[in-house]
Amino acid sequence: MQMRREEIADKLKDILLSASDDPDVLDKCTEDAKLQTDLGLTSVNMLYTVIAIEETFDIRFDDVTVTSFDTFKDVINYIEKKLA
Amino acid sequence: MDKIYTTDRENFRKYTDNETFDKIVSYGTVGEMWKDCINKYAALTAIEDDGKKYTYGQLEEDASYFRPLLGEGKRAAVLCPNSYEFVKAYLAAVTSGNTAVILPPQLPADAVYGCCMKLGANELIYHPALEEKLATVKTAAPQLPLINVMAKADKPEGVKDSQPDDPCAVMFTGGTTGRSKGALLSHRAVMEGTVNGCYGYKEVFNQRYLLVLPLSHVFGLIRNLMTSLYTGSALYICRNNKDMFRDIALFRPTVLVLVPALAEMALMLSYKFGKNMLGPDLKYIICGAAAVSPYLIREYYKTGVLLLAGYGLTESANLVSGNPDSIGKPESVGIPFPNQTLRVVDGELWLKGDNMMDGYVNEPEESKAAYEDGWFKTGDLVRIDDGFLYITGRSKEIIVLSNGENVSPAEVEARFNAPSFIQDSQVFEDVLPNGGHILALEVVPRMPELKGVEGNVKEYIISELEKINKELPPYQRVSRIEVRDTDFERTPSMKIVRYRKCK
Repeated sequence: MQMRREEIADKLKDILLSASDDPDVLDKCTEDAKLQTDLGLTSVNMLYTVIAIEETFDIRFDDVTVTSFDTFKDVINYIEKKLA
Repeated sequence: MDKIYTTDRENFRKYTDNETFDKIVSYGTVGEMWKDCINKYAALTAIEDDGKKYTYGQLEEDASYFRPLLGEGKRAAVLCPNSYEFVKAYLAAVTSGNTAVILPPQLPADAVYGCCMKLGANELIYHPALEEKLATVKTAAPQLPLINVMAKADKPEGVKDSQPDDPCAVMFTGGTTGRSKGALLSHRAVMEGTVNGCYGYKEVFNQRYLLVLPLSHVFGLIRNLMTSLYTGSALYICRNNKDMFRDIALFRPTVLVLVPALAEMALMLSYKFGKNMLGPDLKYIICGAAAVSPYLIREYYKTGVLLLAGYGLTESANLVSGNPDSIGKPESVGIPFPNQTLRVVDGELWLKGDNMMDGYVNEPEESKAAYEDGWFKTGDLVRIDDGFLYITGRSKEIIVLSNGENVSPAEVEARFNAPSFIQDSQVFEDVLPNGGHILALEVVPRMPELKGVEGNVKEYIISELEKINKELPPYQRVSRIEVRDTDFERTPSMKIVRYRKCK
């Protein structure tokens, strides 16, 4: 059964909480939050996030760099597309 | 007062068995080592890359058809990403009487041209994947021969003999402290660095290495590639860091060479998913290029992996010291490797040794400034206790307070890094709006270690750090503590970029 968007977002938030160095990251985590400027993800955090997403959702990213995604929403959309 | 320390390879004997230790022999040149490797390991896998395995014999055959394209006595710039082709090109160049000038593959086209000119390259070996980076060279230096790494000569050519003092490689350095320079390493220095990678642990030969660090950095080229070849090991090339754990699951490495930021990330992922992300066969993580926290050493030890910290510089062909007793002395960077002499002058480490560079290429002023009376001045502040080396700071980073007291930020940071919930910290001098100067502290928390904390996490962190602050000598105490929401800015090799708020 296909995973609902809210479920994807919740799992992604859980990953961000451990990837980020910010204890308040979830408060800032709106769909339009920018990964680098609003959520403060660095290249190391982003690498962690990508690997954790692949592990959690059992998907494979195409060639990804830290600049491939701008906002939280972009990541959800990408995962949703991969799971479809 | 100055103190001089000599080194002895016998200091490392007790950390391995005699049979293995006696197999660690010296070679004068890379060619000499490589001829021995081909004889001893011909049928063994040397490199795994992009789904293919290459034996030592195959690697030599491919190198032999590449040597005739390079000539002799030239400086051959190598512009290749981490790949089998890089290994072939580098080996062919340094075993045919040429010097390999290793260019970082992320350089933009203008810098590729600039580096070729500054470092006196006579030819440029390039990987087709990076062909667009040749644009400036093609227009501004059309006379520079360009050699496609995939090209093949009609006839093979064997290993040519060199002398230990002959130039072998030029490596980039200085990215964090100033202008980039090219450190010239002789065959003797490269081989000394290669052999140093064999000391201080039990299982040395016939290992399985996985490469994630760039080969354009000495830690990748010497400790990872060269020591792997020297020991008859197999090296798996991970082409994209994001695939690191998938590659690990597939290849099951026994040795990983990592910077601390990657070792930390792997540990956090293992905790999150409740499984060992580094594979069932891993025995050692060789960790360096930045300070290693004792927390990492202890946590990995619980999982049965020895994390061995070391210390080195590009100018020393990578390795100066390695810690064979990382559990007993987690704060130390270990015992100095053989064939060096160490001198401590006003706390700063000065070096002489077979592993040292022959200066910076075409930089007479910088080369002169790097030495005093023939000693290379590392700029690192150290102490040596019971034969073990400890880094206490960088001489350039010393903060001189208005009362004349000297504070080494690294020394104070080590105290604030002690709680397991602190990942990194930075102590710096800040200027208040009224012009007064203060010592300030910023920290990056390690969130998984704070899960059980009730109430405001930041307030908890600050109150714990204030307790540490009170225990410091008055001149080392910080006047402001801030918990960051983001990591510190980092260099491409993941070192923290230091604040320079006061000049």
